[in-house]
Amino acid sequence: MKPVSEKRQRNLFIGTFIIPTFVFFCIFTIYPVVQALYYSLFDWSGMSEHKTFIGLGNFKDMFKDPIVLRAIGNDYFLVVGKIVGIMIIATFFAVALTRFKFKLAGFFRSIFFIPNVISVVVIGVLWNFIYNPQIGFLNAFLSLFTEEKVDIAWLGFTSHTIWMLLPPAVWAGIGFYMILIIAAIQNIPDSFYEAAELEGAGQWRQFRSITVPLVWEQMKVSIINIMMTTLNGSFVIVWIMTEGGPDNSTQVMGSYLYQMAFRQYHFGFAAAIGVLILGLSLITTVVMQRLLRHETVELS
Amino acid sequence: MAVNKKAAALGLAAVVALTSLAACGKGGNDSNGAASPSASPSESATPSDSASPSASPSASGSESDGGGTKLTGDFEIQYFVGGYGDKWWKKVIADFKAANPDLNVIEAGGPKINDQNKPRWIGGNPPDFVYIDGPNLNDRQMVEDGQLEDLTDWLKDAKNVDGDKILDILAQAPQQYDGKIYNIPLVLNSWGIFWNKALFKDKGWTEPANFDEFMQVSDKIKADGITPFIHTGKYPYYINGAFLYPAIVSNNNDDYTILQKMATNDIEAYKSPAVLAALNQIVALRDKGFIDKASIQINHTDSQMLFLQNKDAFIPNGLWLPNEMAKDVPQGFDFGFIPSITQKAGGKVVANTSTATVAVAKKAKNKEAAKAFLQFIFSKAQASQWAELSGAPSNIKGDISSSNAPNFVKDAAKYLTDPNTIVIPTITFNADVDKAMQDATDALTISKITPEEWVKRVTDVVAKVKQ
Repeated sequence: MKPVSEKRQRNLFIGTFIIPTFVFFCIFTIYPVVQALYYSLFDWSGMSEHKTFIGLGNFKDMFKDPIVLRAIGNDYFLVVGKIVGIMIIATFFAVALTRFKFKLAGFFRSIFFIPNVISVVVIGVLWNFIYNPQIGFLNAFLSLFTEEKVDIAWLGFTSHTIWMLLPPAVWAGIGFYMILIIAAIQNIPDSFYEAAELEGAGQWRQFRSITVPLVWEQMKVSIINIMMTTLNGSFVIVWIMTEGGPDNSTQVMGSYLYQMAFRQYHFGFAAAIGVLILGLSLITTVVMQRLLRHETVELS
Repeated sequence: MAVNKKAAALGLAAVVALTSLAACGKGGNDSNGAASPSASPSESATPSDSASPSASPSASGSESDGGGTKLTGDFEIQYFVGGYGDKWWKKVIADFKAANPDLNVIEAGGPKINDQNKPRWIGGNPPDFVYIDGPNLNDRQMVEDGQLEDLTDWLKDAKNVDGDKILDILAQAPQQYDGKIYNIPLVLNSWGIFWNKALFKDKGWTEPANFDEFMQVSDKIKADGITPFIHTGKYPYYINGAFLYPAIVSNNNDDYTILQKMATNDIEAYKSPAVLAALNQIVALRDKGFIDKASIQINHTDSQMLFLQNKDAFIPNGLWLPNEMAKDVPQGFDFGFIPSITQKAGGKVVANTSTATVAVAKKAKNKEAAKAFLQFIFSKAQASQWAELSGAPSNIKGDISSSNAPNFVKDAAKYLTDPNTIVIPTITFNADVDKAMQDATDALTISKITPEEWVKRVTDVVAKVKQ
């Protein structure tokens, strides 16, 4: 009798933690996804009482739509650009702030982290001012070196405007991943570096042979996290800065989804884009996992 | 171990991906919930006004109303609160209540009302009467979705509370969808081109009245070191509404039916030489370097600020501009305005109207009251009250010069009722076609495409929409 009740009590205890979470997960995550899948099979304006079942029609249309393809391209451009930009700069800062001990390290650590505390919306508005052709900082700065006033419309090129969204996106991301890598580096015992130094290894060699292998796990998590947040979240910065323009050149999947659902009244089509984002995120994650597979070195 | 990590990462990816989807699923959730008459957000808004029945029925005799049938039951009004405010709505609803004491008028108003009431429209339980304005509410889409009552027959000989025929007193006619009328324009606002009269006087530039004069003075302006023309590239409907559409009408011998044909997705109308000629007027501006390079990437506020700082001489905008920027207008700035600048010398001015309309829901429960309300609001008394309380001209012909409306509203009304002005009645394009035209115009202003490619692009979209 007693062991049973103990077991039951244990299960009850576990259940009180798991069941509410699971219920919320189902209501707020699983259910919307099922709904999105369901709506993606309909031609629906998002306002009408009536929906027409069209099977995979939205998906067929999607692959014929050049803007969808451009949006996918832009999304992956941002993924690659952000991974390269953020990882290089964050790692550099992390190493600089931990390995080369200097007085103001703490100060710089806070400075670099600040963009993470600011809302992406604010960052978008801020960079809009930097890029403003008439009153912007960038043109004013460049004008210092030229005879004539520089008046480049940074967000108004006929193509490749998406490049201009990379600096704010990278700038906004560095701090968090820097902290992550700093924490990992601080876990590496100093004795490793001391030994390496005695053996005559320089800073670069130490970085390559000690730091990178021992923080690889964190770097991997960082890369995958950047990938996922970009595929799902680049909507915000795009919408604030360009709304996908000019002429759809900066459209990403998220912004096109919004445009279609709420500006052009194709809710079903937008749901199909949502399903596409889900699919691509999953596939990319699996591929990245494979690519980043690397012998894990662990401190014993 | 590796398997676990992989699974964990996959799970993480799924969660992040899914949460982003939740946003689009939400509309769906609501739609389900709406099947049952959900606690409507409107109810909270109701009591505030019913408490003041003291507002005497100052406007118009209520006796002539509806031929004596007493209106009873509930009557719900959905109105968006935006640039025109809600002062007029509060007033007119109070007046209407006073005239119909047995009717329980329910107000559902606010800046977010279009979203709040959306589930009810989807669920087939809409309010009786709707004011179509603001984001996420598009009259053409509502007609296509079968949500609005066909008013064609009723409106043919409907009279307002004063006994005037409503169709006769409207300044701009309602838009027709396959010959049918579903919504009636309430506001009469106009797109057009603005400049600063004070700056022009100061520099000795002549204020233009046609396209040739516009190009000539722009040459001078450029020579004086000021950029002649700025627009809102982030929202190209400003340049389309204030420059391109009037230009198409001017180039079509002042016949605005071409725009109406375009709105019915008539491909031939888009291929008309008038469209190309109008696009070439934009090209003329572009090739002379008159368009501010900043235009393409900035929003309306930024472009309006640059205009107010005299960095640019002309701006395509709407008559609400002085009101919208009232706080930022510098001392001595004097708005000059013309509804269109693309006409030939001696040609008529073309005013492209900007409006907001009112309609009755197809599934309205109290259509009688809704129609009586239409008869009530489309009266001369309400016209001057609208102009006074909302700061925009009303769509009812009538002399508002003696009302308390702001001066620029009176000026605008004068312009729009002038017999020499071609007034384009309100037109809503299909949302896809509209977006395609906006994108193409943007692309045209930055030399990415030619006018012929503009037509090609837009007609491709029109053809797709027609399918």
